[in-house]
Order: sequence, then C-alpha cells, then structure tokens
Amino acid sequence: MASSRKITLRSSDGESFEVEEAVAVESQTIKHMIEDDCADNAIPLPNVTSKILAKVIEYCKKHVDASKAEDRVNDEDLKAWDAAFIKVDQVDQATLFDLILAANYLNIKSLLDLTCQTVADMIKGNLFPVRNEWLNFTFSIANRELVLVCLTEWVAHRRLFCS
Amino acid sequence: MLIFFLFTCLSFILFLKSLPLKSLPAWASEMTLLSPWSYQEFFAFRTSSLMNSFGRSCIPLTRSKMSINNSNLSSRVDNVETGEMSVLDLPDLVLECILERLPPAELFSMAGVCSYLRNRCISDHLWESHMKQKWGRVIGPAAYREWKRYIASRREICNLKQGKQKGLVRLLFAIWPLSWTKSKLDNSEKQRIPPPADSIMSWYLALETGKFCFPAQVYNRENGHVGFMLSCYDAKLSYDSRTDTFQARYPPHGRRAGAIESNVTWDRLRAQPVDTPPHDLHISDCLNDLQPGDHIEIQWRRNKEFPYGWWYGVVGHLESCDGNVNYCRCHNSGTVILEFRQYAPGSRWRHTAINRRNHGEEGNEADGFYGGIRKLKNEREISMWKILWPTEVLE
Repeated sequence: MASSRKITLRSSDGESFEVEEAVAVESQTIKHMIEDDCADNAIPLPNVTSKILAKVIEYCKKHVDASKAEDRVNDEDLKAWDAAFIKVDQVDQATLFDLILAANYLNIKSLLDLTCQTVADMIKGNLFPVRNEWLNFTFSIANRELVLVCLTEWVAHRRLFCS
Repeated sequence: MLIFFLFTCLSFILFLKSLPLKSLPAWASEMTLLSPWSYQEFFAFRTSSLMNSFGRSCIPLTRSKMSINNSNLSSRVDNVETGEMSVLDLPDLVLECILERLPPAELFSMAGVCSYLRNRCISDHLWESHMKQKWGRVIGPAAYREWKRYIASRREICNLKQGKQKGLVRLLFAIWPLSWTKSKLDNSEKQRIPPPADSIMSWYLALETGKFCFPAQVYNRENGHVGFMLSCYDAKLSYDSRTDTFQARYPPHGRRAGAIESNVTWDRLRAQPVDTPPHDLHISDCLNDLQPGDHIEIQWRRNKEFPYGWWYGVVGHLESCDGNVNYCRCHNSGTVILEFRQYAPGSRWRHTAINRRNHGEEGNEADGFYGGIRKLKNEREISMWKILWPTEVLE
C-alpha cells in the first residue's frame, strides 16, 4: 500500500488544511493543479473560506473512505450520511450557497449534485410564499422594479401602435 | 391646413385609446396556451398573479433591458435587504443544475419570478426530459404533426386579427406619414409571437391542461366492450389533470356518431406503432417471416366505411400440420393461419387464413375485412396484450 502524499490547502482567510492526496483529488480542480505540478507548496483557494473548506474536506474524506472500505459501505448508509450532512437545520442558507459555490469552483460533482438537489427540494417544498428567507428571491423588490419597467414600456409601446 | 392637422391629431389620439383594447386579446389568445394552469399553488400566489399577467405580456419587450439590469437588480436588492445571496446570484451552470432537478410545476412557477429566470426556465432541454418522462409512451410522430398543425392554425387566427388592426393603422399612416413609427411597428413583429408558443414547454402545458387533443390508440375501447376485446383503436385524447385520466373521442363508424369514453387510464393507451392512418391499409412487410407462434396484430373492420382497429392474434399451424416442431413446414406454405385464442374454438372469429404471397384487404360483409399485418417483436407490447386478456372466453 503506497503511502499517500499529503497536500496542503490554504483557504482565503489564510488557514491551512493538510489532507491526503486521495481526498484532495476528489476535486477535479485540485487534481489538475497537482497534475500540472503546481502543488509543491500549499494550494491557495482564494474563493473558499476556512469554514466551508473544512466542510468540503469532511465530505470528501467520507466519500473516499466509503469507496475504499474493505467491507463496502452500503449505498443507503452513504445517502443517509449525505442527508444528515446537508440537513436544513445543520446548514444555514448562507453556508448552503457557499458550499454550492465551493463545489462549483473546486469541481466536485457529487457535492454539487447533492447541494443542487437540496435547493431544488427546498423550492419544491416551499412553493412560493412571497417572502421566503431560504429562497431569498427578495421578490417584493424585484416585483416593484419589474412592474415599473413593464408599465413604462407598455405606455411607450401603446403610443407606437405595437401590440 | 392647420385645422386638417388638428383633426388628424384628434382622430389619432382617439384611435390610440381604442387600439390597446384590441391588441391585448390577440396577445392573450397566444397566452392562453400558458395561462389556465390548474395547480392551486399558482393561483394561491395572488400577489404575483396580477404581476405575472402584466409581466408575461411585457417580458418579451423588456427582455433585453432586464438582462442588462439583472446584475444591478440583485445587487440593488442586496443593499436593500439583508445583503445575503439569492439564487439569482449563483453562476449559470449551477442554476442550470438546480433547474434540471425541478419537477414541471415548480419549473413553471420559477418562470414567473422574473424575466431572467423566465428565459432560463422556458428553454427546451429542460422541458424535453419532462415530456419524455410523462408523455413519451403515448406521444408519437402523429401527435407531433398534429401539434404543428395546431400551433400553425392558432398563429393564423392571431395574424388575421392583428392583420386587420395593421390595415387600419397603415391607413392612418397614409394620412399622417410617420416613417419612424412604421419601422418600429415592423421591428416589433419579430417579438409579436411569444417564444413559448413554438416550444416544448408550450406543448407540455397544452397537453397537461387538456387544450390539445392528440391522436393515440386505446386498448379495449369503450370500457372493455365485448365487441372490441383485445383490439386497439385510434382516438383523439385530451388529458384531465385532476383525475389523471383521459377522455377519448373515437372517429365515427360509418353513419353512427363517434363514441366518447371518459376516464381512460394511462395503461390503456399507446402511441401509434406505425404511421398508417386508421382508414388506410397497412402495407405488411413481415409476411415472409411469419412462423407458428409469432405474435401479430392485424387490421380488421366490419365494413369498408369504418376505420380499422388493430387486433391481436397468434400465427398458428396449418390443419395438415400436427404441431410437432421437428416436422412443421408451415413457414414454407403460401397460406398463413392466424389464431385469435380469446375466442371459443367453435367461434367464427377464432381462425382466419391469409395468403402469404399476396395479401391485401380480404373479407366480406359477414365476417368483416382483414387488412395489414404487423409482427410483434417487442416483449412489452406482447405482455401488454396478455395483461388485457379477457377473463372469459368470447364467442
């Protein structure tokens, strides 16, 4: 069993995280950086804060361990772990969005799928109450702007005979 | 000269006042494809429903403006509210990822939030997967052609109404030449037909609301009427989303009026398997392949005025053959025996013989006319017929 290399990741607020290479390459972005030999020193991740990076590393570790395990961790168990990881009262909205952006930047497909599915489920569950702090469409403001724009256009086009 | 000028001004303004009332219905008739969506959630969203009807009629005109303002809008919004991120701030790819995971009702609601989301949510590839998932089994090429005809005819009606308006407007222009406003009118023609009318989203909604009746086939028509057991007939179907069933309109049988059947469930429907219209003879291409034990469907009708239905049968052995697999030479014979085992052995519907070399429509007024044959290769189709097998033997 080859001893895996340790990779250092530095978050935007200067904190360093040491992880095994197998965990780090769950992220396609980091994988390409390592392949391009940019990883001798710490890999800087200017778009990811330490709080989010810690969570991402926790996710990647779990998934790497699950695929490596001798006794084949049950798919159901992993799904249950994912659900607990992303659970609405554990993760507030800002963190969820930060996780999505981090997963997108770091190119971790499974985390991106998980977080996007969570947002989709939230949309399904809270079908448009006007002010939904989770969805944060700030719909009332957008509404007013849109109505104003529409009104001016409608009046303008009335004069120009356009239907 | 001045009086004439003032007069045209006045008539101009009066005409202006009357015009928008005529223009909205033409627009609205295109929009009815989208509007009567029966989900309670959509109607429960009362604060936005007025905005939506406004927004929808304005959005194509304001699209370019809104997309420029989009980033400004969300940042303006951030300053006013708590400064938190909103879904609109997510990168395009991520938003796409989320939208792909939404079910149709939510996708439709999202399209009503703002024009940026509307443009994302009406795109064809999102709705294509929903179409395939829900309607894939019952919608075929015939339904698609029917849909094209439907939107073309609606567009004609729309253009006719607008053409009349344009005629009047052009007359007015002749009195008061304003070439710059004329060019504005021409430009707006491109935006006049709203994009969704031609899109998969529009098709999906037209199917869901039952506005569009599509051609398909119904098994065991008229609630398993004994005269139609193990047959499949063409009909026009319209969907009722409340009961999740269909209403089927069968074409008239000769002088007898067309029948209507309600509460047809999904499992009794299929898209037309071949592109032959119900009154036409299907050209059989499998005659040389037919062997005892093959599952087939054959066209049959009572008389030449009626449309064909497709009836299920099995290729049987010739009378001279004892059924022994090793000695059976039935597949070399010029005659093919078809068995309809749902009927009792003595019944006149149990057997029929057809000429392998030269098969067209055959029959008589008493026994009906047998038409084209289709060999069933798909296991799913065969098992479908077996599921529908009558509980009692027919006469």
